[in-house]
Amino acid sequence: MRTESELGGYQEDGSSTWKELPGGRPSRKKVKRSAVAAVFVVVAALVFILYKGLSSALVYFYTAQQAIADKAQLGTSTFRMEGVVVPGTVQPTASGVNFSVRFDHTVVPVVEIGAPPQLFQPSVPVVVVGHFSTATSDVFLSDQILVKHSANYVAAHPNRIKDAGGSN
Amino acid sequence: MNRRRWVAVFGAFALTTVAITYVMGLWVTPPDVFQGNLVRLIYVHPAVAWVAYLAYGVTSLSSIAYLWKKTRNYKWDLLAASSTEVGVVFTALTLITGSIWGRPTWGVWWTWDARLTTTALLLVLYLGYLALRRVTEDREQRAKRGAVAALIAFIDVPIVHQSVVWWKTLHQSATVFNADLNPKIHGEMAWTLLLGFLSFTAVYLWMVIKRYEIAKAEMAAEEQGIEEAIRERVGSL
Repeated sequence: MRTESELGGYQEDGSSTWKELPGGRPSRKKVKRSAVAAVFVVVAALVFILYKGLSSALVYFYTAQQAIADKAQLGTSTFRMEGVVVPGTVQPTASGVNFSVRFDHTVVPVVEIGAPPQLFQPSVPVVVVGHFSTATSDVFLSDQILVKHSANYVAAHPNRIKDAGGSN
Repeated sequence: MNRRRWVAVFGAFALTTVAITYVMGLWVTPPDVFQGNLVRLIYVHPAVAWVAYLAYGVTSLSSIAYLWKKTRNYKWDLLAASSTEVGVVFTALTLITGSIWGRPTWGVWWTWDARLTTTALLLVLYLGYLALRRVTEDREQRAKRGAVAALIAFIDVPIVHQSVVWWKTLHQSATVFNADLNPKIHGEMAWTLLLGFLSFTAVYLWMVIKRYEIAKAEMAAEEQGIEEAIRERVGSL
């Protein structure tokens, strides 16, 4: 049993001289300081994500139709454009691939610099990142193709389920 | 059987259903006509995302139960915190599995479309909730602040779910929980998808029960610790 004098106590003037006992847990001050730091990091991350969301996610892409309609305003600025790859227009080139995308009745020719992703093929919806080549041209210069996936899932070989482990 | 034994048996059951989901997803189900073998991620990714929604739903209900005076009890606060911790793990898994699928399918690991942005927001909001809980040592203050923060963070859950409808996104719209509740997936693929939802939900329940028990034990130890510290200084009371 320890005596009070070893450990401190309340003094006559009301102040405390209680001593800290060595323990396994970090002190309250330390826990609180690191928690406040964590809250600051979280707030910084929130600001960053909201900035990204407001600048990119609200208008993630223009459809090919909207892009042509808003061409005067878009000029040669960089944006994302969505459309379906028109079958029969895909032409591999030395630097990438040329093709057209369609949205409703609007068709826009695309010149892609760089390799398209593995699922790129005719008739799939894609989002291309780039800009019109000149303020007057309808040709869209792209440096990135994103393949949009539909929410439908269909078995590749419905009658050959034993082949499931293989590729289609 | 005692309670502990039941929890252990349930845990074994949950992990077994996950194992069956993996076997079904990797070997039994067929490749997709367009995605090929990449489709196999659908047995995991939407299920873990659903568990994150569920976890935050439980957090919100527990927080309301704590804030409402008639049902106020620290146990609700501990349940809210436990469910959030598991929810954060599953939100991170949602982002990681989505990213792994996005790279070969879309061509990028990450993009700032509305679904991805609001999901990243969801993770950070609940990390903020967990950080906020550590700022104060006062149990009542912690529980109150936490409950209010949890309810504010929950606003993002319906936004995440509806983001693919409200904004133009690269992420596809819902396959199962779509507007007509008509899943656009069939046969074995649909059954395996359902099994994935059930198995990850079971894993969630098991993890929350375990975490909640630990939280209760921590609270008991803390109370005992305070008593011991007093005893050590002023002798037995």
